[in-house]
Amino acid sequence: MFEMTQVTKAYRTDLLETHALREFSLKVGKGEFVAVTGPSGSGKTTFLNVAGLLETFDSGSYRLDDVDVSKLDDDARSRVRNHKIGFIFQSFNLIPDLNVFDNVDVPLRYRRMPAGERRERINSALDLVGLSSRMKHLPSQLSGGQQQRVAIARALAGDPALLLADEPTGNLDSLMARQVMDLLEQINGMGATIVMVTHDPELARRAHRNVQVIDGQITDYKPYEAHSASVTVLHPPAADATYG
Amino acid sequence: MFAYDLRLALDSMKRHPGLSALMVLAIALGIAVCTVTFTIYHAMATNPIPDKSSQLYAVTLDTWSAERPYDDDKPDLPPQLLTYRDATYLYGAKAAPRSVVMYKSGALLLPERNGVKPFNAQLRVTSHEFFPMFDVPFQYGQGWDAAADAGPQPVVVLNHETNAKVFGGENSVGRTLKLGKIEYRVVGVLQPWAPSPKFFDLNNGSFEDPEDAYIPYGWGKALEMPVYGNTNCWKPESGDTYQDFLNSECIWLQFWAELPTIADRDRYQAFIDNYARSQKAAGRMPRKLNNVLYDVGQWLDRNDVVQKDNRVLIGIALLFLGVCLVNVVGLLLAKFLNAAPLTGLRRALGASRRDIIRQHMTEVLLIGLTGGVLGILLAVGGLAGIRAIYGSDFTRGSYERLTEIDPVVVLVTLALSLLAGAIAGLYPSWRIGRTAPAVYLKTQ
Amino acid sequence: MDIKPILSSLRRSPTGAILVALQIALALAIVVNSLFIIVQRMEQISRDPGIDVANTFFVGFQASSERFQGEVTMREDLQILRSLPGVQAATVVNAVPLSGGGSATSVYTEQNEKGRRGDMNYFQVDEQGLETFGAKLVEGRNFDATIVTMPPKNSSTSPSGILITRDVARDLFPDGSALGKTVYTGTNQPVTILGIIDHMHGSWPGWDKVGNVALFPVITDETYARYMVRARPGQRDAMMKLAEEALGKVDNGRVILRVRSLEYVAASTYAKDRAMALYLTVVVALLLGISALGIFGLAAFNVSTRTKQIGTRRAVGARRTDILQYFLAENWLITTVGVVLGCVLALVLGYWLSTAFELPRLKLYYLVFGVVGLWLVSLAAAFRPARRASMVSPAIATRTV
Repeated sequence: MFEMTQVTKAYRTDLLETHALREFSLKVGKGEFVAVTGPSGSGKTTFLNVAGLLETFDSGSYRLDDVDVSKLDDDARSRVRNHKIGFIFQSFNLIPDLNVFDNVDVPLRYRRMPAGERRERINSALDLVGLSSRMKHLPSQLSGGQQQRVAIARALAGDPALLLADEPTGNLDSLMARQVMDLLEQINGMGATIVMVTHDPELARRAHRNVQVIDGQITDYKPYEAHSASVTVLHPPAADATYG
Repeated sequence: MFAYDLRLALDSMKRHPGLSALMVLAIALGIAVCTVTFTIYHAMATNPIPDKSSQLYAVTLDTWSAERPYDDDKPDLPPQLLTYRDATYLYGAKAAPRSVVMYKSGALLLPERNGVKPFNAQLRVTSHEFFPMFDVPFQYGQGWDAAADAGPQPVVVLNHETNAKVFGGENSVGRTLKLGKIEYRVVGVLQPWAPSPKFFDLNNGSFEDPEDAYIPYGWGKALEMPVYGNTNCWKPESGDTYQDFLNSECIWLQFWAELPTIADRDRYQAFIDNYARSQKAAGRMPRKLNNVLYDVGQWLDRNDVVQKDNRVLIGIALLFLGVCLVNVVGLLLAKFLNAAPLTGLRRALGASRRDIIRQHMTEVLLIGLTGGVLGILLAVGGLAGIRAIYGSDFTRGSYERLTEIDPVVVLVTLALSLLAGAIAGLYPSWRIGRTAPAVYLKTQ
Repeated sequence: MDIKPILSSLRRSPTGAILVALQIALALAIVVNSLFIIVQRMEQISRDPGIDVANTFFVGFQASSERFQGEVTMREDLQILRSLPGVQAATVVNAVPLSGGGSATSVYTEQNEKGRRGDMNYFQVDEQGLETFGAKLVEGRNFDATIVTMPPKNSSTSPSGILITRDVARDLFPDGSALGKTVYTGTNQPVTILGIIDHMHGSWPGWDKVGNVALFPVITDETYARYMVRARPGQRDAMMKLAEEALGKVDNGRVILRVRSLEYVAASTYAKDRAMALYLTVVVALLLGISALGIFGLAAFNVSTRTKQIGTRRAVGARRTDILQYFLAENWLITTVGVVLGCVLALVLGYWLSTAFELPRLKLYYLVFGVVGLWLVSLAAAFRPARRASMVSPAIATRTV
């Protein structure tokens, strides 16, 4: 799916230079579910930003779907994000002025998709996360778990090859967290590649593979083996929560 | 509590200095434009003689042509001036406790003092009642009497500036002065006196300075003194002599009556109407009976002393302030709503809805007041600018007088700025006060 | 660019947008009407007076002793003025054009005030009057010195021949040439029209018949009269000094009171219109400035409070231009609502001004200027905030604080 080789990224201020990623190399195959763990400040988020093309990096190479994305300009990177990548954020990042339907619609709009197809995709994405009945609700009218599921629907609606999740359950209680994890596993089961950043070893264990980042480097890098990803859905997807 | 509100307001203004400055600027500009406009308007609309304005009446008779009204734009109004023969009759009849007949003229003034160039002195040729009727203040000496008008006697009253120019400001009563061909004896010197508007004679500009000197009415006829105001005639007048001019239907004299009570006024109205009827019987005054007594306020209205332009500007200035207020409301609302989570926190910590509204209104009024003070400073600058561009040079002092900032206007302006602030802040404060604490405490 | 998402976002929190639109509407109403008044006043001021204003000045004088002998003395003075090297022409005159003071009379095409009436603002001048004013004769001839008279004081005798402007000629003889025709004064004295002046303004620029002017071959008997002097181009100021000196050297029973340029007189006459135009220009400028600042401030503030949202949009695939477009389109939408509302307000305000103050009715094409102007101002004001929005990094989305 993607391959990072010797990626280095530093943040500079006037006084000091902080290396967020140091010669960071990671290869993720199609259909994998990888958990990236590590203490805070280790560079997990920077890795995710680089992987999601939210940020550029200083040196090294990054190939996504066999395309070298390090040389792309801003517009092309936007296109790649729009077509290939889905994001799930810790704080959901729904747009408060827009209702559930319109929120899921946002990335599709930028893909200039015709209205009929957009509606179809939004409906099926919301179906998948079990929120078809809340289409007209505003984010502020939903519980945290429901908001995160809207965010997942938004990430899925574009049919991305790569799903990047940043502490997706960080703002949720354990029951809702489990529901969200179930959903992610279900999506992975449907063929999506998922890279999840988390500091929770419990959650990390549910991934196929764990990668630990410390000081901007991978400490226990296990190269990907082509057919090791056997998909098991450990928990059936939960029905819509009764609260919210 | 107020001190606390004030501190919160200052903190909040400091948190977004650009936004706060923008709001202060918007209010300041709105207030400045209004202040400049109001100042000029106020100066124009001021009652120049408040104590007697309802006892002094400009006397008008409709002596105009049968075919067309005096003023096509105001066909129902009689002309403002009188003919010589009507003025002479009204003055002679003594039907009012006091009346005055007068006009503006001029003559060459030849000062004896070295270094003072001869100049064309503006003169008021007037009967002696002028000074007591219009409460004219004397510095030295006094006016003259009926005998001086009838004589006419060569006496003159100088205004303050002329006395300063010609006699160096000393008590010149008893000294002589040559005006045109006649040598006059100074009997009085006025204190600085310039009623604004110059209500008693609006012919040469409503905000002109009064004349340089005053001479008895009788000299007008004796010397055939020229008319410096308007002379209007509606029918061709034949004849080549000054007497022909005096007998004509041309109008050029101002006539005022002092009528202390309503009864006096009604009696005088009946008197002039009777006179007009007798003239109609004699074949004069072909228009329908239309003789009007105007008190000072009505007189200023009738003569459009407050120019249309200035009324238009008042409207535009208020609309401008409106734009500034809408501007401020928008900015306040955005700012307050942005700080809503903090407000929610305060509510959660026990602030009542009224506390929140008061807190925000304090900030708004602070902005309003700062804007108001800045606005007055801008207005003072603006008025100075107008004075500089349109100095007294052009128009005998009128812009000087019109652009003096008035304490009343300042007070009105400050009140206006607070009111403006209050209006601008009411909705945003209410809106933010209304929000339930929980909404903003939940996530984000 | 699809505006539906913008609309649904605006629908959710419309107050700010409504306020901006309202502000634009009010501003448009004021700008359009002020502009209209400004242009009118400037047109008034910049009309061609048909007079050589730049090179002309006048000398006010007054008789001061018995030695003053009317026409003789004035001819003497004129001789002095005309002999100055930089003087093109000079005349004695009863009133100063464009000054606000002057005399008017009417003539009729038939006796006893019958037929067509011609109102005219007349100037009593001698044979050099026409050249002094710099007015152009299109028909007939100028009068010569022989018919210039000085009637006795207070006389109502009219001159036998006069020059009139085309405006007067049109009032009297709309269908044919006025040249050589006889008209009658109110006292039935016949007057021949000797020549037609192309165009010239009289004493009262505010009068709707300001172009109705006549020149009378008469030496004025006003006690306070003026010599009007036209200098050769560029020599006015020098001649003003020289004239005062030369006349001052001769003591013939009159004093020189004041020497002023016609330019100064015209400027003071138009001071009120100029003041109104200047004042409104300042108001319009301030208004556009404050509106632009207001729009800018609100837009900038909105952008700064929406950075997270912008970052999210960027993260899910919006390009920089998409963000830029989003904010500009939002601004355009609000502005458009504002200008549409503003057009209505402008018409209402214009109607009110025309009925309450008898000002001319607002011309509709001024709306176009106002609309385009405010659109541009609004766009310019929103551009920087929108650009800043487009620069928001997509990585903002993963920031948790």
